[in-house]
Amino acid sequence: MSLNKARRPTEPAGLNITSMMDMMTIILVFLLKSYSTQDISIAPSEDLELPVSTVQKAPEMAVNVVVSKKNIVVDGVPVLSLEKAPDPDNPGQSRLQIPEDQKNGQLIDALLDELSKKADTAKNIGAQSGSSEHEFKGRLLIQCDKKLPFEILRQVMYTAGQAQFSEFKFVVYKQE
Amino acid sequence: MAVQRRIQKAEDLNLVPIMNLVTILIPFLIMAAQFVQLAVIDSTLPAIGAPSTSDEKPDKPPLNLSLAITDRGVTVMGADAILYPEGAPEVAEGETRPPTIPCKSGGACTSVEDYDWTKLTAKLNLVKDEYPDEEDANVILVPDNQIKYEVIVSTMDASRDDPSKPGSDGKSRMLFPNVVIAGGAM
Repeated sequence: MSLNKARRPTEPAGLNITSMMDMMTIILVFLLKSYSTQDISIAPSEDLELPVSTVQKAPEMAVNVVVSKKNIVVDGVPVLSLEKAPDPDNPGQSRLQIPEDQKNGQLIDALLDELSKKADTAKNIGAQSGSSEHEFKGRLLIQCDKKLPFEILRQVMYTAGQAQFSEFKFVVYKQE
Repeated sequence: MAVQRRIQKAEDLNLVPIMNLVTILIPFLIMAAQFVQLAVIDSTLPAIGAPSTSDEKPDKPPLNLSLAITDRGVTVMGADAILYPEGAPEVAEGETRPPTIPCKSGGACTSVEDYDWTKLTAKLNLVKDEYPDEEDANVILVPDNQIKYEVIVSTMDASRDDPSKPGSDGKSRMLFPNVVIAGGAM
């Protein structure tokens, strides 16, 4: 009875990467499928949930206003915060609104300043380039949370109208 | 003479360079990947200006279709002659007219699904039958102050096209794609 086993010289163990290759190939195909070159991007957050719509029109570049449950942001610059106030129609409940001291009737002062600046810049660019492609057309992309009341949206639209933006484009999720 | 036969070992394909390439490609593609599709709904401010003066008298009054959205349903305004051929329903003094399309649950609408969008599309189909012209393809939305934005978007969807009916281009029938949002009750 021999306990001595013949020792074979060990070969360096090769990593079998074929299965990994398979996985990578599948991921690659999936990612290529979802590759996109869209003009605008959104930052999903809890406070900004866009509604879903059946519309098919693709978005284009324009000044971007984000109205989330927390604040209003113009092209990435926060302009003002929304506040919670008691709801007169449903006692005990609260609702979102634009702070009273921030607005002048229907007009939101801080938003008007920011949007007027944007409109002036866009007009300058349009005048200097001289081509109709860069002309100021008053387009405004509005990203609004789906649970916000129309009151806030109306005040934002009214203010934008005063800042010479007249063509609103509401950004929505496309229905699959 | 005995020939020693070695077992021929299959040469492994060297996949390491391909792996390197793929590993670099994946982070790049993840960055550019878009998992949600975005779209935009066009809307304009109500145009302010003198009404167009034309010598020709139109044979029928222009359509001035508006949809009032309240928490009790959607009211179609400006098309009573089409929706009520026998005359508008009588409303008792001091009472407001009930909405044309009430909520499915009867009382106040609780969610977006509670609004009867298919019925609204069906009613607007009738209006479109009467006014097939392109110029009339305008609808004015008059939402209440506390109506949620998602309800407004769904109203625009319901009034834009009717997917159940084929249109001229083979897709769904176009109803009123031009949306104007009015100020509503101030």
